[in-house]
Amino acid sequence: MTAPAPQLPFERPNALELAPLLARLREEGPITRVTTPAGDPAWLVTRYEEARVVLGDTRFSRLRPDSEDAPRISESALHTRPAPTPEEEDREHTRMRRMLTPAFSAPRMRRLGGRIGELAASCLETMDEERSRDPERAVNLHDHLSFPLPVMVICELLGVPVADRDLLRGWSERIGALYDGADGAAAMAEFEAYVAAIAEEKRKKPGQDVISDILAVQAEDPSFTEGEMTRLAVGLLFAGHETTSARIDLGVLFLLSDTGRRDRFVADPEVLARATVEEVLRMSAPGGLGLTRYAREDVTVAGTAIARGEAVLVAINAANRDGRAFEGPDTFDPSRSPNAHLAFGHGGYYCIGNVLARTEMQVALTALFRRFPGLRLAVDARSLRDHSERLAGGLGEVPVLW
Amino acid sequence: MVNGEQPREWSVARVEADTSRCVSSGQCAVTAPLVFDQDEAGQVVVLAAEPGGRAAEQARQAAAMCPASAIRLYPAP
Repeated sequence: MTAPAPQLPFERPNALELAPLLARLREEGPITRVTTPAGDPAWLVTRYEEARVVLGDTRFSRLRPDSEDAPRISESALHTRPAPTPEEEDREHTRMRRMLTPAFSAPRMRRLGGRIGELAASCLETMDEERSRDPERAVNLHDHLSFPLPVMVICELLGVPVADRDLLRGWSERIGALYDGADGAAAMAEFEAYVAAIAEEKRKKPGQDVISDILAVQAEDPSFTEGEMTRLAVGLLFAGHETTSARIDLGVLFLLSDTGRRDRFVADPEVLARATVEEVLRMSAPGGLGLTRYAREDVTVAGTAIARGEAVLVAINAANRDGRAFEGPDTFDPSRSPNAHLAFGHGGYYCIGNVLARTEMQVALTALFRRFPGLRLAVDARSLRDHSERLAGGLGEVPVLW
Repeated sequence: MVNGEQPREWSVARVEADTSRCVSSGQCAVTAPLVFDQDEAGQVVVLAAEPGGRAAEQARQAAAMCPASAIRLYPAP
């Protein structure tokens, strides 16, 4: 009898290091059997080359097939939403990319860069005021920069009131929860109703924002359903801040966990930001699952037969620290070039918000260390834990002093 | 050859982007702004087909990272 397949997410010592079991599995082979948080079987890909192959292979889809026997990943509302047919999934995805690519393109993000800088400056101002009330007390970077900056930017882009950010935060945390499915479903229903109400307003009075753009496309296309529109808007609001917040927290944590590393960055943030952000993206590992795929047909990966309908989790965090692809994979080294990490995926589903996320991270780290060059952690970096019980992971708390 | 990049010894003489493969991720325009941009629809645009110095380094990074493997680098003859 074989041992039961290990269940995700694996135990991690702290937010900077990966689960030791991930490294062990990666040494044993590129792909292995695991048990999902929901208790179902899945394949886990841990090596870089194979991860890239699976992510680039169109024989895998992103959404769970509409079948009772399809393995479940978790109880998160983002994992359990009703799946369309493969044809519908492809059609929705193509439409989404065509519709949204211009709004998230590099030229558009360059024009937005100055605005992101203004918002970052206002966050840092509030952070400074908070500290001046009691200079001895640590300030939570998450509450003052890592959370508000991405959420303000995505709200402005989508045309959603920034004042509602705590509502968005609450729903996002609840729909990403891996375990309490009933609460996640209730949160998703509230989140979708909220977005539907905003859309109703914008139909009467369109604005210069992404939701208005989506509604304009929908008005011309009878096959573009209301459900698809609200799912898309919720997805953008969720992905538009949860993941970036986590990466900013972790980026600062990586820089502060070694004073020499921080000082090298502080010496020239504008020049170093680009490469530093890429290395932060490679090493930071929020969440413990990876990217989900389902085989649309029988596929062989690295000699392993994956049957149609089976689930594959691509552990991009493990792949990003695969010594076959990166020299000294566990060392934080912004000078590595090229740095072809998989933080945004690979292939046709590559994150459409990658330019936005990169811009926000560059602006956030530059502004933060320009203003507070002596920033330091108020606690041991290794005492901070990733919220691996949530789909997007993240820290929630990064206490800093300066 | 590790993760699709070219051996580092040779210098990049020429850059080509295959627009039929491009998935409009914008990755190249943000990691190699000296070499690439996107047009209004998001398609890749080559700004510097014969990059040198820092631009060549950026081109290598963008090529290794391109999610659609749409960037080709050619060495000096």
